[in-house]
Amino acid sequence: MQKNQLKFIFEKRLNALSLFILLMIFIVIIKFFYIQIIQHNYFEKKSNNNSVKVVPIPPARGIIFDRNKRILAENKITHNLEIDPSKKIDIEKIANELNPFVPITKNNLAQYQRIIKNNYFSSTVPIKTDLTEQELARFLTNKYLFNNIFLKTRLKRHYQHKELTSHVVGYINRINQRDIKLLTKNKRLSLYRGSDHIGKRGIEQRYENLIHGIPGFEKIEVDAKGNIIRTLEKKEPIHGQDIQLSIDIELQKKAVDAFGSRKGALVALSPHNGEILAYVSQPYFNPNLFVNGIDHKNWNILNNNKARPLLDRVTKGLYPPGSTIKPFIAIAGLENNLRVPPFQINDPGFFTMPNQSKTFRNWKRDGHGQVDMVKAIAVSSDTFFYGLGLELGLDKMNQTLKAYGFGHKTGVDILGEKKGLVANKEWKIKNKKERWYAGETVITAIGQGFTLVTPIQLANATAKIALPNNQNYISPHLLLNSNQLKQRNDKLYTPPPNKKNTMSYIKEGMEAVTDSGGTAAFLKGGSYKIAAKTGTAQVFGLAGGEYVEEDLPEHLKDHALFIAYAPAKKPELVVAVIVENGGSGGSAAGPIAKKVFDHYLLSNQ
Amino acid sequence: MIKIEDFKEFFKSLDQTIIGCLIIILSTGLVALYSADNNQLNEFNTQIIHIILGFFVLFIVSKTPPKIIFFYTPFMYILGIFFLLLVKFMGYEVNGSQRWIDIGLMKFQPSEIFKLVLPLMLAWFYQNKERTIAPKIHFISLIFLSIPFILILDQPDLGTALMLSFSGLVIIFMAGLSSKFILWGFIITILSSPLIWKNLEHYQQNRILSLIDPFKDALGAGYQTIQSLIALGSGGLIGKGWLNSSQTQLNFLPEATTDFIFAVYSEEFGFIGVIAILSIYIALLLRIFFMISKMQDTFSRLASVGLLISLFSGVLVNLGMISGLLPIVGAPLPFFSYGGTSMVVSLVSLGIIMSLYNHKSLIAN
Repeated sequence: MQKNQLKFIFEKRLNALSLFILLMIFIVIIKFFYIQIIQHNYFEKKSNNNSVKVVPIPPARGIIFDRNKRILAENKITHNLEIDPSKKIDIEKIANELNPFVPITKNNLAQYQRIIKNNYFSSTVPIKTDLTEQELARFLTNKYLFNNIFLKTRLKRHYQHKELTSHVVGYINRINQRDIKLLTKNKRLSLYRGSDHIGKRGIEQRYENLIHGIPGFEKIEVDAKGNIIRTLEKKEPIHGQDIQLSIDIELQKKAVDAFGSRKGALVALSPHNGEILAYVSQPYFNPNLFVNGIDHKNWNILNNNKARPLLDRVTKGLYPPGSTIKPFIAIAGLENNLRVPPFQINDPGFFTMPNQSKTFRNWKRDGHGQVDMVKAIAVSSDTFFYGLGLELGLDKMNQTLKAYGFGHKTGVDILGEKKGLVANKEWKIKNKKERWYAGETVITAIGQGFTLVTPIQLANATAKIALPNNQNYISPHLLLNSNQLKQRNDKLYTPPPNKKNTMSYIKEGMEAVTDSGGTAAFLKGGSYKIAAKTGTAQVFGLAGGEYVEEDLPEHLKDHALFIAYAPAKKPELVVAVIVENGGSGGSAAGPIAKKVFDHYLLSNQ
Repeated sequence: MIKIEDFKEFFKSLDQTIIGCLIIILSTGLVALYSADNNQLNEFNTQIIHIILGFFVLFIVSKTPPKIIFFYTPFMYILGIFFLLLVKFMGYEVNGSQRWIDIGLMKFQPSEIFKLVLPLMLAWFYQNKERTIAPKIHFISLIFLSIPFILILDQPDLGTALMLSFSGLVIIFMAGLSSKFILWGFIITILSSPLIWKNLEHYQQNRILSLIDPFKDALGAGYQTIQSLIALGSGGLIGKGWLNSSQTQLNFLPEATTDFIFAVYSEEFGFIGVIAILSIYIALLLRIFFMISKMQDTFSRLASVGLLISLFSGVLVNLGMISGLLPIVGAPLPFFSYGGTSMVVSLVSLGIIMSLYNHKSLIAN
């Protein structure tokens, strides 16, 4: 009986067991279904990530040429020894091992540490850049000793004119945290995969999006150990566009040489089309120092230098315009029917405000005698402009100054351009917590008030006098390539319509500046005529004291300013020069401008 | 001269359904093995030898009268224990556990032998004590089970030990253990699970933990599971095609020819291929269940159930392992994975079942 009972239990349980196993198999099938059908896409991606690596191929930066196709910035092939920082490595040990073959200096190690801190896109970081041929050969023969050191051939940016182009061409440097943020914001980050460098200054920075290019990539299949099995797909990078600048490097060199060791800035541009031919900011620096990250020592030297070699004075240097403002005040007067020749005043050497005892001195103590508008410009009569300024009033002066580009950016294709300052009453209350005094209107007329200008603004405004053809006015710029002009953001605005004779009086006055009796009479003669205006901007408040140039320390001497165009009757070139602490405008800055004109007008024919 | 009748007579002992299923599964397994072995023929050729050897033993066993199997069972059990002890003192290590033994002719894993011997031994015992079924008998069975269990656990080979004890427990259950005990057994197991957890090796704990989230330790304990899941998942519905499994061909998948061979197969032939081959396994399972239901004596029934459970717990544990349902324990897929011992043992267990089925009863011969 028991045996039958057991058989019954066995059969019952056998059925249960078969159902149990079938249920288990069913669960397994459900799980397979879930993985293979529902999660298929997810795992397919994982599978590709496993075996497919995408290696970016960085594009080569575009070459920068001057207007005559002379190279300003190029790429040179260099060999680097690089290390993958994601692997655990003892950098000191590697340096010691390398030393017998390739000397690793303290600077190399410092550079490595510097780069590693800001490394975002590179899989490997250089421990030694720019190998010499001997070092290269020595490394290659002993390569088997160094498993985790990679010999990489890279393109290194090189600025062959060094200091000459430091401010205009600028430089590239390694990408840092701020660049990443900016690139992310501009949705351009993906273009920098595989790249280490980005334009940081000058044209390199301004036209980064043209010069940089688009990276390519190589899709490679790797095995579990990371060995490359084959290339699945390759897309070549699109190299950065070459850029041609309006700069004439020969002219630039002439201007720099003319400056010598003096500080200041010079802009030379064509009044016809706004093309900048020379862009000089003194002192300068060697842009090649920055390419792989500047070291602390050099950085401190540059950054702590009181002469501020890193400041681009052309667009960021702010100067009181001094007497170079006078032609523009003159325009304001003539446009408002004031002092229209043959109207004359008597210049006794000082100006006294009506109903006040306050007296403003002329730069020439005994005055200029009978002065009309033309002569006032030629001899730079302060007395004449004091009265004119007061009569015009601040608003009318400012209106004209603004029309000629002061107080706002010229739109030149260099980033960070300063607006300068054309001060008004509201500005003074807001910034100086003080009301505007009539005396300040008076000195504004000779460029000694709050007004601040940049050298590029002076050149820009002078170009508008030189060629007052409102329709064809093109603001100053550096980019020459016609197919890239859209990138330039030219400002095409029109100054207010001039009265018929306004410009001819101004031009007559500026031409007379280089005649006998003018403030730059030493520039008279020669094979072409220069129209100019000199200026001297006070750095040191004399507070009624006597200004004796020889007695003042160098850094308190006046700034010398000079704006000019030539040939006077058929202007081809506009030059604006500022020599910091140069003393009197004509004598310090004039000869520099003259050398630039000579080179451009005489040797280019 | 050999007559056709001789062949018929010879093959009469073979079950056509089982042989049919086997041919399909084994040839599919060889196709997968060729790919998993990176298109080299080394393991492929060796596996064919395993299969031929296994079939040879299967034929012989299927023609062996159950009486003889019954008679030799206790000796085989003692021999098995002897081999396990031999492994403990003379075996050599592979991947940190000592499972192999070299007997000159070939290397083999004695723990695999117990997939045959343990069901036979327990069935033998219940057959002998047929008339005195009592709780005491079940307890003695448990001791027969525990000895190899402890020795295998000590290797350490948790997976095999658990699968073995599972088939043993199923035999005790099928032998009529009262439901009361089964319930208590469950409760005790659950209550003692923290204690078991504490006694697990660290890597075993990690493997169980990595089941919950294999990606947590993607390069450590979870690595194999992840690579296996990627192989399965990227295979999709129809698979990447034979020899096109990137997971395998690029060596991301570990143990591709042994424990993870079905992951290779799933990547290359997709869900459709998985369903196709599992259908054959199910057919095999149902056929054996049918055969067991026709058996008359305790030894045949219990031995067959035990062998069946050994076989299919292997299938379930392996599939559960590669699909992330179970921890990585090192269980080959019967008839599929590369490996001689497993192949021969699996084929022989079918041979025993055929013999027991053909003779219907111990006494009938």
